[in-house]
Amino acid sequence: MTSSHPRPDVTVVVIVYNDAARIETAVQSVLDQSLRSREVIVVDDHSTDDTPRVMERLAAQHPDDVKFIRLPANSGHCGAPRNAGVAQARGRYIMFLDSDDTLDRHACRNLVSMAEESDADMVIGRCVRIDVATGKETSWMPWLVKDKVVYESLRDEPELLYDVLSTNKLYRHDFLKRENLVFLEDRYYEDNVFSAHAYLTAKKIAIIPQRVYNWMVERGAATLSITNRARDVRNLTDRIAVTQKIDALIARYGTPELRLQKDIRFIENDLRTHLTGFAELPEATQQQMLDIARPYVNGIGPEAFKQAKPLPAIAAYMVREGDAEGVATAHDYLTGKENRGRLTTTLVVRDGRIFWCDRHLDDPLGREVLDVTELGFQDLPLSKLNLGSTLTAVRRDGGAVTLSGVVTDPLGRLQKPKASLVTWARGNRRRQFTVKAAIEPAGTTLTWTATVTPAQAPRPIGFVDPIYSFVLRVKAAGETVDVNLFAAPELIDELSLPVKPVLSRLVADRLEAYRTDKGNIALRLAAEGKGAKAGGDAISKLRSQPLGARLWGKAGTVRRDLRERLDKRNTKLAWYDNVFSRMPISRKTVVFESHMGKQYSDSPRAIYEELKRSGAPFRAVWAYAGEHPNGFPPDVKLVRRQSYAYLRELGRARYWVDNQGFPHDLRKRAGTTYIQTWHGSAFKRMGFDEAQIKAQTSGQQDKLQSAIDRFDVFLARTEHDARTLTKGMRVHAELMRVGYPRNDVLIRQDNPDEVAALRKQLKLTDDRKVLLYAPTFRPDQIKTGLELPFDLDEFVERFGDKYVLLVRPHYLVSFALPPAYAHSVRNVANVHDVTPLMQIADAVITDYSSLMFDYALLDRPLIFHVPDYDDYVGSSRGSYFDLAEVAPGPLTRTGDELFAALTDLDALKERYAERHRAFVARFGEYDNGNAAKAVVDRFFTSGTQGARRG
Amino acid sequence: MAEPRDIFIVTNAVDELGGLQQWAHDVSGLFSARGHRVRLIGVEPASVPRDYGSDKPYEIVTLHDHHLPRLKKGLSRPLRRRSRARQQAEGARRLTEMFRQAQPGGVVIAAQVWAGEWVAKADTTGLITIGMSHESFEASKNSSRYNRARIYYEDLDIHLALTDADADSWARAGMTNVGAMPNPLMTTPATLPTLDEKTVVTLRRLSHDKGIDMLLEAWALVGPHYPDWRLKVFGSGPDEEALRRQAGELGLDDTQIFQGQTENIDAALSAASIYALPSREEGFPIAVMEAMAYGLPTVAFDCAPGIRELIHDEVSGGLVVTPGNVPGMAAALERLIKDKDLRVRLGEAGQQSVKKFSPDSIVDRWEALFALLAR
Repeated sequence: MTSSHPRPDVTVVVIVYNDAARIETAVQSVLDQSLRSREVIVVDDHSTDDTPRVMERLAAQHPDDVKFIRLPANSGHCGAPRNAGVAQARGRYIMFLDSDDTLDRHACRNLVSMAEESDADMVIGRCVRIDVATGKETSWMPWLVKDKVVYESLRDEPELLYDVLSTNKLYRHDFLKRENLVFLEDRYYEDNVFSAHAYLTAKKIAIIPQRVYNWMVERGAATLSITNRARDVRNLTDRIAVTQKIDALIARYGTPELRLQKDIRFIENDLRTHLTGFAELPEATQQQMLDIARPYVNGIGPEAFKQAKPLPAIAAYMVREGDAEGVATAHDYLTGKENRGRLTTTLVVRDGRIFWCDRHLDDPLGREVLDVTELGFQDLPLSKLNLGSTLTAVRRDGGAVTLSGVVTDPLGRLQKPKASLVTWARGNRRRQFTVKAAIEPAGTTLTWTATVTPAQAPRPIGFVDPIYSFVLRVKAAGETVDVNLFAAPELIDELSLPVKPVLSRLVADRLEAYRTDKGNIALRLAAEGKGAKAGGDAISKLRSQPLGARLWGKAGTVRRDLRERLDKRNTKLAWYDNVFSRMPISRKTVVFESHMGKQYSDSPRAIYEELKRSGAPFRAVWAYAGEHPNGFPPDVKLVRRQSYAYLRELGRARYWVDNQGFPHDLRKRAGTTYIQTWHGSAFKRMGFDEAQIKAQTSGQQDKLQSAIDRFDVFLARTEHDARTLTKGMRVHAELMRVGYPRNDVLIRQDNPDEVAALRKQLKLTDDRKVLLYAPTFRPDQIKTGLELPFDLDEFVERFGDKYVLLVRPHYLVSFALPPAYAHSVRNVANVHDVTPLMQIADAVITDYSSLMFDYALLDRPLIFHVPDYDDYVGSSRGSYFDLAEVAPGPLTRTGDELFAALTDLDALKERYAERHRAFVARFGEYDNGNAAKAVVDRFFTSGTQGARRG
Repeated sequence: MAEPRDIFIVTNAVDELGGLQQWAHDVSGLFSARGHRVRLIGVEPASVPRDYGSDKPYEIVTLHDHHLPRLKKGLSRPLRRRSRARQQAEGARRLTEMFRQAQPGGVVIAAQVWAGEWVAKADTTGLITIGMSHESFEASKNSSRYNRARIYYEDLDIHLALTDADADSWARAGMTNVGAMPNPLMTTPATLPTLDEKTVVTLRRLSHDKGIDMLLEAWALVGPHYPDWRLKVFGSGPDEEALRRQAGELGLDDTQIFQGQTENIDAALSAASIYALPSREEGFPIAVMEAMAYGLPTVAFDCAPGIRELIHDEVSGGLVVTPGNVPGMAAALERLIKDKDLRVRLGEAGQQSVKKFSPDSIVDRWEALFALLAR
């Protein structure tokens, strides 16, 4: 094809500056396009390296397809070269490519075919960021390119404004001409204005989910690209100037709604990027940046602050108020690519709500933006709060190193803290070393000090464990949490621990601190002394030889592969099947698990405790989920769910006891007996009666069936179970009709100490009656958290003096309770076991939870608050019986109905006495307080061994 | 009229009994009618052969004389893999010979991924290469076909799914050479139903994936309330006995429901007023297209994007129900039983919308695709 030939479909404009090493790859990715009707125009921004030579050769090799333009002087930005390229373009469509990136092989064809099919002015495809060092790929804003779709205008999808790249898109050439779309030539972020202009004026915008663009990301490289150097003042200045240009375009072509969307994007994205790491900037720079940003941020309407995500909104609001400390604390807590996130602000409670700090609360907007009650600092487990500690001093005294630091105490939750400094080899928690730390409260923070003496210093192996994690482990309020450490650079440089590696000091002689990519401190092996330096030098010399380098690289790969393979499910299963399950059976071992390791609770707990009482010889293993086993008994073997230790225990155990299901892919060996207690009788359809499982293929159903067929006995509390639950689940195990062990205490009431302790813990000190609200599980609430289907304000107003309400979300759902209600409402999400909560409660409000069957045993009032009854029971899930017909209490559909029912609990009890008796007779027939004992007698204390099936 | 091309359609077996082979013969005929030179190639002989007629305007070839052994998991797998690689090389050599005779602009279509292995090993230089997934992305994902498609379709010019939604799923999974091509509707109704017959009908193979068990459960919730209405299931299959037993347990009369295999689709569809599609897995169900062509409203589980591509819920073609939601299917059937106007409205709208899958429009789309891939 020569230039006299017909117009190519696509012109790809490639811009380059001093990138001789990569430009050929970029150009080749265009030449390799499956759509052959394309041309490349490379515009060189006056490079000073080999780029022109490389390009002249390429242009000579492909005279019809590659055109090379060299700008007479360097422009310093991407705008001028792109404009120069477009000016020479012949294609019906235009694309842009940067010299360090590549196009997917089918990019042009997919984009052109969509453009022709949809008649759109621009078509957007997926951009994938590729970390050059690791090869890791992440999709750029994947939610924008999920499906093939055509938008009539930007108004149909304002979120497109988030994607400001000009590169992953195809533009109709006529469209660029018609709208006079050109790049700014004297600013960074020229993409932003160009993209906004294009979005606002395009007649149609089409999307395809196919990858079109490979964005090669080199971290920590000397040649930082513009977007990586986003922090300096000049960049912020340009950003603001560009954003003002975009505002002008929106004013001309757009709508107020689009302006709002853009403002939100500016707060959540642009401003956030520029303020990242704000706390580490010198004070003068901080002030300078505030001065630049403030006038613009002042012009943003209050609505954008209210609608943006909470933390970026707080940061932007602080800019508006010129509050440097506020900006710093908000950015400290923002978790991102470059930040682990740590709490440094002092939260305050005002009028029953929680605020980010005590400043700006007299400004109505400040009050709204800084209100962080919904973020749950007051209720979430400490491990979810991103606590962080700042090192304040490092002192060396001979071989000993003393560290001190501070931890911000959120709302005084770190009660009676204990702390230790912990370090462990990355990827091998068994090489873990602990030093006790002294910790004390100091106002709204805690200060701690720890001394690492040579005797207590970590003992690395050398070579194989180059990196160590380093945290402050804090135990407080019954929870253990690892707190990341942070420090100023000078302090990090000072921190190193002398060590004696197992492989001698020739390998290394200290663990020195460094700042990870996310900003927290970790330790790495290093050499300081003569011997170690010599050893280190010898090794680096070896590594600089070709053979040595190859071996070293190979060793690294082998180690990484091994690690990855060990983490893979298939490897774990192979160990489980071929090794652990073939070890001799440990006849005394019983593995307990409740709700997939989330709790120490329910019938497994009741059986475990009965077993302890019985004096039968056994070895208990409890499985826990999460980082630390918070709330589990201290005197049993604890294994983390899905760890190798867990698989080993399961593979060898004589008994498995759980209430939901050990991992489905673990086969049960012949010598193991599986006692499945289950966790509730059924109202909703279960197992193969559920729509989702009904719709499965036979392969999927067979897998579920074989997981269920591992059960040897299945506990039943009523014949209703046999008709519904076990039939729906196709349980072929023996039904043990003994009732639920967890319900023994409901009948026997023989745990007064536990109940009293729990009352104390929940501060139930007066004689108000206690209500327990315990709704059923709704999967969508995993993300949103529990939203109460009645008005808490009204509840507190009407009943606050009479009742205390305990709110119990499902264990997978969170709930944030404003402190304003603390007098009459408690969040009991973090209490492991619901049974003692039922014992405390004078009445229960539920909807469809199986808790109804258990609580009924107590013969106390039950209220069914079911605003969504028709939807929930009618069409979506289906039920085994008609709740309205048999419920031992009223069904309420509105808040008013609920509150009416609550006014007189005694009357309620009387009114439903008859139905209550019938309900218990039907659904609790085997619950007689002896379930745990029956299980223990059958399997553990009687002379004969219990049922065992293959 | 587009330039005539050499078109090779490669399937597992050309005369196998099945929807895919029916499709292959249908499009071979349609392409031939437009003047293209079509060769329909099977990799191996059929295990359950069916007569697709003779005197075809296209050539039919089978690469191997014998049924090839499948690779099963186990210790002897590497050995068997080697012996199959030898056989495959022989088949690929025959394919290469045929491909070499093609004029420039020729097209190779691997209609199934197993057959695609042979295409991948043959020399396709100068030809347009296409691979097809005649099932939903989800169904591929649940089988080994997902990984094999990633391998053997990766270097083809394009990998065609049945719907845009399925192609999007493949694109999200990382394949970029993906597009969509629906099946053509080959049926022209001889007799149109009046929508007054009190019959719900389905024509299905009696196997787990077709979900007749769920239809029976749903019918047990509705049927007894409308004693003059009948459910008729045409077809046979491995689960027949179990399904008859299940019907009995549900209190239904299995002799009234199960009609056995029929060749006369026209009679079955024209004597019904509602079509039921209780499948667990589908691609782009021809059964629904046929029902639409007859103006029958369909009640279907939303088991694949192909369902929604055909049925616009509540608007045209019928009603769509969450997969496995038996009470939901019962409720939808009941709505249609009670409301003739709804049957007519959905049926007529469906009859209109299914026209875009007429043989002519589908072949136009194919020819446009060939032109795009040659650009």
